[in-house]
Amino acid sequence: MTLNTTAETETAKIARGLRERDMELLADLVERYQHRLVRYLLYLIGRREYAEDLAQETWVRVLQRGSQYNGRQRFDPWLFAIARNLAIDDLRKKRKAVETASLPNDRDAILLVPSSGPSPFEAAARSQDAMRLAGRLQILAPLYREALLLRFQEDMSLPEIAQVVGAPVTTVSSRIYRGLATLRSAFEEGDSHGG
Amino acid sequence: MEGDKKFRELIDRSFAEEISEGERQLIRDHIRDCDGCKRYVELTARTIRALREFAFTSEPDSNAQVREILVHHAGIMRQHNVQSKIWAAFAVALSMSFVGSALVYQMARRLAVPMHFDTSQVQPGVLIFWLLPSLCSALCLLAAPGENRGIA
Repeated sequence: MTLNTTAETETAKIARGLRERDMELLADLVERYQHRLVRYLLYLIGRREYAEDLAQETWVRVLQRGSQYNGRQRFDPWLFAIARNLAIDDLRKKRKAVETASLPNDRDAILLVPSSGPSPFEAAARSQDAMRLAGRLQILAPLYREALLLRFQEDMSLPEIAQVVGAPVTTVSSRIYRGLATLRSAFEEGDSHGG
Repeated sequence: MEGDKKFRELIDRSFAEEISEGERQLIRDHIRDCDGCKRYVELTARTIRALREFAFTSEPDSNAQVREILVHHAGIMRQHNVQSKIWAAFAVALSMSFVGSALVYQMARRLAVPMHFDTSQVQPGVLIFWLLPSLCSALCLLAAPGENRGIA
């Protein structure tokens, strides 16, 4: 109960600070969330240089539209939802002429196209097993990567993830299971080849 | 085989969401006798563990850069805010000038006869002594000094 009340006070404080455009509070939020925000964007778009730029844009959007945060939910799902919308718009712009002409009007469709370019995951792998997953992560559709990150690294609940991605909980869970199945196969294949 | 598929779905659920203690026990009992599903549990756990073994380093001055950008944008937004308030005040002052002048003109016309004024002088009088000064005051709002200036 005490913890719950503390959490409520915390989010209400953030909501008030954002409404008043309190720069000290914003600096504190940047300190606490910037690293996680960049990581989330990296999982979503698979390119380091875009992730940093989009994170900056996300914070500017937070400054401009801070009054829309009501303080009733956790701050991070709201922050990630803003970042996600910006990332989708950015990806659509970048790939518009080439690939998305045939994609349906669904905003998320762009996240089914695997990222190209050098993998940021290999550089970030800190164990043999992580290294084995790195290649799979790079070719995994961003929608699945995103769901896996939010569940297993951000430790968000399924309803919280659903809030970020704007999809039903059942869709979120199916993305997690499919993503897990693809990554698990890296170990299945590796082990059957004598790994 | 169909049974294994159902158990594997339950195992997936056990990693991604909350399941009941009864369902947990069901999994424990099943994997005691089923090597395939036991291995499935181990591989899933290993995958999730490996997912947590990525450490992304941020650019060292990334936070400072974001803070600088935010301060810059906050300044621009503050200025826009002040400017829109000034324009709103100007619009109010302008409309008050015309409404006030019309009222003063009506009153002056009525008072002109008992006070033995020439009625033809009322209009230029209101224009010079009422409307022009009010318009000048309204314009002064736009020409306020410093960063509060409406006309940049």
